Amino acid sequence: MASPLLRVDRCTKQFGGLTANHDVSLEIASDEIVGLIGPNGAGKTTLFNCISGHYHPDEGRIVFDGHDVSRARPDRICHRGVARTWQIVRAFGRMTVLDNVICGALTRTNRLARAEAKALAMLEFTGLRGKEGEMAAALTLADKKRLEITRALATEPRLLLLDEAMSGLTPAETSAAVELVRRVHAAMHLAICVVEHVMEVVMPLSHRVVVLDHGEKIADGAPEVIVRDPQVIAAYLGEHHGQRP
Amino acid sequence: MTELAQAVVNGLQMGLLYALVAVGLAIIWGLMEMVNFAHGEFMMLGMFGAWWLSSTLGWDPLVAMLPVALAIYGLGVLTYSQLMRRVQRGDAFAQIFATVGLLLFLQNGVVALFTSDYRFVSDTVLSRLSGVQLSILGIKLGVPLLMAGLLALALFVALYLLVDRTEFGLALQATSEDRDAAMLVGIRPQKMFAVAWGLGAALVGIAGVILANFFSVYPQVGLSFTVLAYAIVALGGFGSILGTLCAALLVGVVQSVTVVYLPPAFKDAFVFGSYLLIGLFRPQGLFGRF
Amino acid sequence: MAASRRIALGVGLLAALVYPLLIQATGYTYFQTVGFLVFIYAMLGVGWNFIGGWAGQFDFGPCIFLATGAYTAALASVHWGWSPWLGMVAAIVVSMAICAVITFPVTRLRGHYFAIATVAMWMIAQPIGATWELINGSRGLFIPLTPAKSSLEAIWTLGWGGRSKALAYYYVALLLFVLTMYLAHRVDRSKLGYYFRAIRDDQEGAEAIGIDSRVYKTAARCLTAAVFAAGGVLYGFWALAVFPDQVLEMNWSVLPMISTVLGGIGRLWGPLLGAVILIPISQVMSATLGAGPLAGRGLDVIVYGIIIMAVAAFRPSGLLSLPWARWFRRG
Repeated sequence: MASPLLRVDRCTKQFGGLTANHDVSLEIASDEIVGLIGPNGAGKTTLFNCISGHYHPDEGRIVFDGHDVSRARPDRICHRGVARTWQIVRAFGRMTVLDNVICGALTRTNRLARAEAKALAMLEFTGLRGKEGEMAAALTLADKKRLEITRALATEPRLLLLDEAMSGLTPAETSAAVELVRRVHAAMHLAICVVEHVMEVVMPLSHRVVVLDHGEKIADGAPEVIVRDPQVIAAYLGEHHGQRP
Repeated sequence: MTELAQAVVNGLQMGLLYALVAVGLAIIWGLMEMVNFAHGEFMMLGMFGAWWLSSTLGWDPLVAMLPVALAIYGLGVLTYSQLMRRVQRGDAFAQIFATVGLLLFLQNGVVALFTSDYRFVSDTVLSRLSGVQLSILGIKLGVPLLMAGLLALALFVALYLLVDRTEFGLALQATSEDRDAAMLVGIRPQKMFAVAWGLGAALVGIAGVILANFFSVYPQVGLSFTVLAYAIVALGGFGSILGTLCAALLVGVVQSVTVVYLPPAFKDAFVFGSYLLIGLFRPQGLFGRF
Repeated sequence: MAASRRIALGVGLLAALVYPLLIQATGYTYFQTVGFLVFIYAMLGVGWNFIGGWAGQFDFGPCIFLATGAYTAALASVHWGWSPWLGMVAAIVVSMAICAVITFPVTRLRGHYFAIATVAMWMIAQPIGATWELINGSRGLFIPLTPAKSSLEAIWTLGWGGRSKALAYYYVALLLFVLTMYLAHRVDRSKLGYYFRAIRDDQEGAEAIGIDSRVYKTAARCLTAAVFAAGGVLYGFWALAVFPDQVLEMNWSVLPMISTVLGGIGRLWGPLLGAVILIPISQVMSATLGAGPLAGRGLDVIVYGIIIMAVAAFRPSGLLSLPWARWFRRG
């Protein structure tokens, strides 16, 4: 099997007395969609932050595309090909939608004209064309999240980390978002890691699911297997999940 | 060697005064997470208050402390209620230039009233003690500075008790941590913040009154004390009272020792250089959480 | 650019060009000097906008670079007889280099910590300026300028004297202002401009899309340094001497900052609007209070302080953000 795009090797991260991640190892191949689930406080966002460079693991390594990025700055990691969205959505509020995406596109080119063309193409792809002149701060939550994804895609990532991209959305908005993720994966063949709470979203979407609980990985496998894992059920899913049709 | 030891002791005494200058910034503004570039101007007003009461009414600074403190308390409350309240929720940026505007207004207001001439408070109670010196292990402790330092320490401790042990102090901490929750238990945040600003201003104003015993009084003296206060707070960590005290003592010693080896013009430069170095290597300060 | 804007720009430029000539006829060169000051402060305000308005980092330190600029050009003139235009190039290079070196390490500081660091830098610069022998310390550096024998020579050496000095320096200031505005316009529509604004809006989010905030904050400040250096050269040759306590004065940082904040922070025309309002206020106050007891008492700065507090409290985005100003704004 080809070496994985991302390998997290025994990542441990502590904050004072709290161990947010303990000895977490996982791999993501270059064309996979991996779901990362676990109860609140399980350490999912901390893990994302370690991968994207906003935190540095206290122990262990993060290896992306063969390079050890454990101590790298977030901007370096983005240049290597990791992009992310945030749990609490962050867009550049005082800029237009288009300018936001242009900022992402400028990662790969110095020429403004090219970045603008790229940005417009991205906005077309993600369905925000027509809103490019609006101020980012004025968008709905669903559109802001879509903008974040568009901006991240403009950096031409090989791995996209989506941190609760569906939270706070109505059911209709959620299925539109899921559809977007599928389209992104199909068209761009990138690896995607999705942190989510909504089980109905994560399970059908992911090729593989990793489960964290209290900072440790407790399961890693296909969705159908995970839902039957007694440890996972005990930690998170509740006793009745497996019984739904 | 004794010269160095003497410098260290002098530095510790000055450090106590600096602690009083800095603590308003650390606790009050650190708790409220508000910027105040006019911090040093409140101190300058305290100095001018002491000088004016001394030269027109013959009041000793020790006596002037109370009326000046009250007046500057009022000014702090006014500053919050009229100005800072409006910029509190917005950009941190707006807070910076709001207080810069206040700085310009206060500093030049004083220039307009009194000119930029250097002034001195003379013949004070403390200065009459200046002939008296304690001598411990060959190191001289000037009584005036020692008394001033102890006074500053007493006020410092009083503030600590106020913030940490009284209902008011707890209410203030609660408001800073979670304004909405505080409202639910009947605390009125606006009132809390106004009082906190008043206290912070009054404290540094009192520090000014005390410092007027030892330093010349002029309108531009504020900014370097603002930077000094920020340097101390950055060293000690915002919100940490103990940290502020230790940092202030450290700064006092560094300044005092610097003068032994470098030309006096560089006295402050060294302290500010330390601020930059701390920012480089340990942004959370020696004790604090960033 | 829309036709109406082109016309407005053209009219404005024409007015700016003609204004001093009309004054010259009356013989009151004082008003030309006011214009000179307006354009210097507007130019410096545009310079401040790079770090303060676009990158969003409040900076009190640009006066340091005004000083390094003035001294570089002055030294070049004193020791090698360089023309101030050459000196300006050297001044810009030297100031940007110094800026890069002292700024990069402190870029990790945020918000008001960074602002305080810039004040700390200024406070360290002061004793250096006062004691450094190379620049004559507090004794000051005098620029040996002989009055030029021809207009062409005068343009090269900035060596005007007498009645034509105020007029000539007005035009030089106007030229530098126009060049600075052009620089700002180009940066605004460039990768730099986008990255500056990204850092201002959300530094962490910017880093996540590949922006090294240390590099770009430093770059913004270096652009500011370049503009201030040029301004310093202009001031130095106008004053014919460079003294540390005059060029390292905080007012050189604060007044452009105030002009920009009043006019509209982060907006291209903000600094000019602010300068046009504030400088005349100062001059009018000096004129009416004249030699009276309140002269030189900083009354104009009191007014500035009140204005700034009002802007902060009621309209932090500045005058250009008001609804009626829409016509003057870019899109």
